[in-house]
Parts: sequence; structure tokens; C-alpha cells
Amino acid sequence: MSSRRSRQAAGVSRISDDQIIELVAKLRQLLPEIRDRRPQKVSASKVLQETCNYIRSLHREVDDLSERLSQLLSTIDADSPEAAIIRSLIM
Amino acid sequence: MNHCVPDFEFDDDHWIPTSSVLNRPRKSAMAEEDVMELLWQNGPVVLHNQNQRSLKKSQPSFPADQSAPREIPSSHHHQQEQQDHLFMQEDEMASWLHYPLNDTNFDSDFCTDLLYPAPCITSTTTTTATATATPPVRATHVTDSRPQLNTATTVASAPPLRPPIPPPPRRTANFGLFARHMPREVASGPSNSKSVTIRESTVVDSSDTPAPMRSMEGASGVNNNNRCRNTSGAGDAATSSGGGGGGSSGARDLTMCEMTVTSSPGGSSASAEPPAQKPAAEDRKRKGRETDDEYHSEDVELESADAKKQSRGSTSAKRSRAAEVHNLSERRRRDRINEKMRALQELIPRCNKSDKASMLDEAIEYLKSLQLQVQTNYFLQMMSMGCGVVPMMFPGVQQYMPNMGMGIGMGMGMGMDMGMSRPMMPFPNVLAGSAMPTPAAAAHLGPRFPMPPFHMPPVPGPDPSRVQAANHSDPMFNSFGMQNPNQARASNFVDPYQQYLALHRMQLPLQQNQSMVQPNASKPSTSKGAENPENRPSG
Repeated sequence: MSSRRSRQAAGVSRISDDQIIELVAKLRQLLPEIRDRRPQKVSASKVLQETCNYIRSLHREVDDLSERLSQLLSTIDADSPEAAIIRSLIM
Repeated sequence: MNHCVPDFEFDDDHWIPTSSVLNRPRKSAMAEEDVMELLWQNGPVVLHNQNQRSLKKSQPSFPADQSAPREIPSSHHHQQEQQDHLFMQEDEMASWLHYPLNDTNFDSDFCTDLLYPAPCITSTTTTTATATATPPVRATHVTDSRPQLNTATTVASAPPLRPPIPPPPRRTANFGLFARHMPREVASGPSNSKSVTIRESTVVDSSDTPAPMRSMEGASGVNNNNRCRNTSGAGDAATSSGGGGGGSSGARDLTMCEMTVTSSPGGSSASAEPPAQKPAAEDRKRKGRETDDEYHSEDVELESADAKKQSRGSTSAKRSRAAEVHNLSERRRRDRINEKMRALQELIPRCNKSDKASMLDEAIEYLKSLQLQVQTNYFLQMMSMGCGVVPMMFPGVQQYMPNMGMGIGMGMGMGMDMGMSRPMMPFPNVLAGSAMPTPAAAAHLGPRFPMPPFHMPPVPGPDPSRVQAANHSDPMFNSFGMQNPNQARASNFVDPYQQYLALHRMQLPLQQNQSMVQPNASKPSTSKGAENPENRPSG
């Protein structure tokens, strides 16, 4: 099946499969939950799912932090170095 | 008859889709004209005439007699139907009796136009109703494929056979008819669904499939059902995640399924096929485009292979069936993965890659940048909160910065979000890039020296509370915060990288940094930090 498929796909899928496996492995390294447990057992589907969840949680976190930073920036002394740093980073 | 047509109109709002609506206006312009037009559309023209005559006669009298007739002048389809109903009941009983006799005729002519498009919606609405009927037939196939599609396909095939039964309950009556016809259609159902599945992924094959479809049933049935399911699943996923575009495509797929299914089984519905296939073809093209853009190229080949297998014969079909089962599970797995990839693609901003590998690459980069950004934010928070506590260890900054990539967050000790992997070097660069390296240096140095002045004992305390506070305030400021995060994310995505390239030669002994950080990280562990410690690479 896969051979036929890859033949029909002009070999594109064959080439990409390895890349995809490698990328999935890379992703797995980045994900906090999967990295430490069951190193070999996670499927691509699970990795993708975890990636999506992780990205969403990171989004939330960044939103929270940015919000807080904005508040802090408004409250702290504008001339302080920290303020400068914060401003440079989030603006 | 009259009631039929008006009923369709009446029911149109509920279950008959656009095509039927198009037909309907032609047929029932309203008032008497409607009835007249109906005549030519319906098999039992005679009945219409009779009805019309009676209607005309009765109409003038009706308004006076009944409330419904009064509505006639309002030129309301709905009311017209009711009126017709009354007419039928009173005068057309005889013509009505003819209905059952003409049902068969109806199938070929009258119902096709109305029913084929109708199934699209009817099937969806009737899935639940027909679900009970389908299971017995598709017991083997239904296990993992969603019953909805199966019922939908079978239901779709049923409509052509459904005679126009009278009034409001028509919908329910149709369901009953669907159930009745289902066993008959089941055999061809799988093949029909097969055509549907193929159609969804390929642009060209759809027209060809109906023929072979009918010849085989069982083997293809499973794949077909799954295909349909996948289609619907994809459609659902698209609708859920993709929004408008995906949703419309998904809806189109469903309608396509219905239409093709109905067209194929209906040998009698030959007349209906062309019109049904036309929109189906359009949808197919659209869907084909979209699916092709996605990761369905493999599926297309699989389906064509399945079609070939099915055409060979029973013996080979058995073998191929087993293989198909395997293909089925494989395809299901692949569809799951594709679905997740689509979801991931939507999460990644400015991701215009249709290629899996490049998309995964972007996902990885984005994830790293996100982690970096979160870390930066945490750091900034700490800094802004503990402004006065940051020591100025300027000199040592340069050499430490590279190592501090992760260390800073760790040093901050809050284990803020140390979800950074080794390659995340940019962080120190960011700080260096900013005009105030000093506090950054202090932060950098923090982990370096086991929590020297930098540890900021007060920080761990307030930090968890602040973290929680942030969460509490989140709902209030979400809208406000959204603007910054987007910018921040974008900026962080770019800046760290640039700075990194500018300032550092990346080969930094992260390992030692991390190992160093470990003890530091262990110390202050806030609520957020809980997730990070486990991120520490073993390095």
C-alpha cells in the first residue's frame, strides 16, 4: 500500500515521511509533557495534539503575562531600566 | 398533488434545500398559478388539473368559509399550501387516492428534482431517525464509522423513492419511507457512499464511480462509510476549526454526499442525476481543491485503488477487503493526523504552508519562540516587581549571558516557564539588546551564583500570588491584553533571533547551564514552576 501510494504520489510522500518523523521527534522534545514520559510510545497524532494544546496554553500564558506587564509598566517608574526593557520587548 | 407541491414549499423552510426551492417557485408561483405550474412538473398532471379546477371553483367560496383561504390573497406559500390542503381534503380526496398509485411514477419525475437536493438537508435531519434502520445493515461497518453518514447516505438514496405524501407530516412520513427503502438501498448505499468518498477527494472520478459502485457492495462499503465519515469529520473539523471556509466546504461535502448518493442508486432517477451531478461536480471541484491542498493526496490514491479492487471480483475482493480494512484504519489514523495538523496550522500565525514538513518546521519554530516569549515575560514581570532588588553585576554579563539563556528564567527561580529547550539561546540576547543589560546581567548572574542577591526572597512569595492574580484578572483584561501579546509575540519572535545572531555564537554550554540551574530551580517553585521543572532536559 504505502509503496503504491508513494509511487502514485510521485515519491513525494516517501520523501516527506522521514522529514515528518524527524519533525515530530523535534516537536516531542519541545513538549513538556511528552518529553519525560514514554519516549517512544507517543504517536504522531498525540504529538500533534499535545503541540496544539501546548501552544494554546502558551498563548494563554503570554496573554496573561503581557497583560500583567502592561499593568506593571504603567505603574512603575517610566525611567527605570526595567521599564525600558519591558517597553522594548513588548512594544 | 397540490398539497404535495405546496407542502414542499411549506417544508422547504425546514428540510428542502436550495435546489428544491428553485424548483418550487417554478412550480408553485402562488395562488392558482402555482397549482397550474405544478402540473407540468408532477407526473400526475391530471390530478393537478382536477385539483386546480376544483380549487378555482372553491377558492372564491373558501375565503368566505374558511380562515385558511383568507390567507390566499396574502400570496403566502405557506398559506397557499394550507389552502390547498383544505382543498384537497374537501374536494380532492379522489385525486389524493390516486397518489399511491402514482407514487412510482413520481419517483422518476416528480420527486427527483425536489428530493435530490432535499436529501442534503433531510438526510442530516433524518440521520437520527434513520439511524436505527441503518445499524442492522451496516452492523459490520458502523463500528467505527459514524452512523450519521451511513444513515445520511442511505437516507439520501431513499428520497427518490419517496412519494409525495401529504402534508406537514410529510417530513416524518419521508423518514418512514426512508426507513422502508433503506434495506433496499443499503446494498447500493455503500457503493453510493463510496462514490461520495471518492468524490470528496478527487475531482475526476466522481462521475465514474457510480457505475462500479453499484456492482460491489460489501468491501467498498466500509471504505465508503469511512470516507464519508472522514468527509464529514473533515468537514466538521473544518467547520469547527477553520471557520467559514472550512465550514462551507464541509457543508458542501455533505450535500455532495447526499446528492451523489441519491443519484447513483436511483437508476430511475436518471433525470435527476444531471442536475444533481452538476452542483455535485462543482462541490467536488471545490472540495477537491481544498482537500488536495491539504494532505489528502494519499487518500485519493487509496480510494482509486479501492475502486479497482472492488471491480475485480469477489475472491479478490475478499483479499482486498482485508487489505482495505487495514487501509481503512490507516486512513483513519492519517485523517486524525491531518486533522490535528490543520488545527495546528490554525494556531500558528501567518502559516501559509500547505506542505506538512514545512508546516511542522514552522510549528517547531513558533513553539520555541512562544516558550521564549513566555520566559521573557516572566522575567520581565519579576524585574518589574522586584525593581529594587536587581543587583548590577555588569562585568560578568557578557560571558554569562549565553549560558543564562535558560538560566535566567530559572534564576528567577520562579520556574516561570522554563519550557525552553537547549536551542533557546536568544533570551540573553534580548536582554542584552535592550538598553539595560545591567538588570539583565543580574538576572543572568542569578543562576550563576547560587541565588546571590538575585534570588529575591520576596519574589517567590508575591509571585505565586501574582500569577494567580493575573489569572484572575485575565478575563477582565483579555481583550486589552490581546493586542500586546500579538505584538510581543511577533517582536519576540524576531528580536531574539536577530540579537542572537548578532551577539552570540551559539555554541553555548547549555548543559552546564542547565545543570547549574537545576539546584536553583528546585528552590523556588511556584505554581507555574511546577510545569517547568519537568521541562528540564536531562542535559
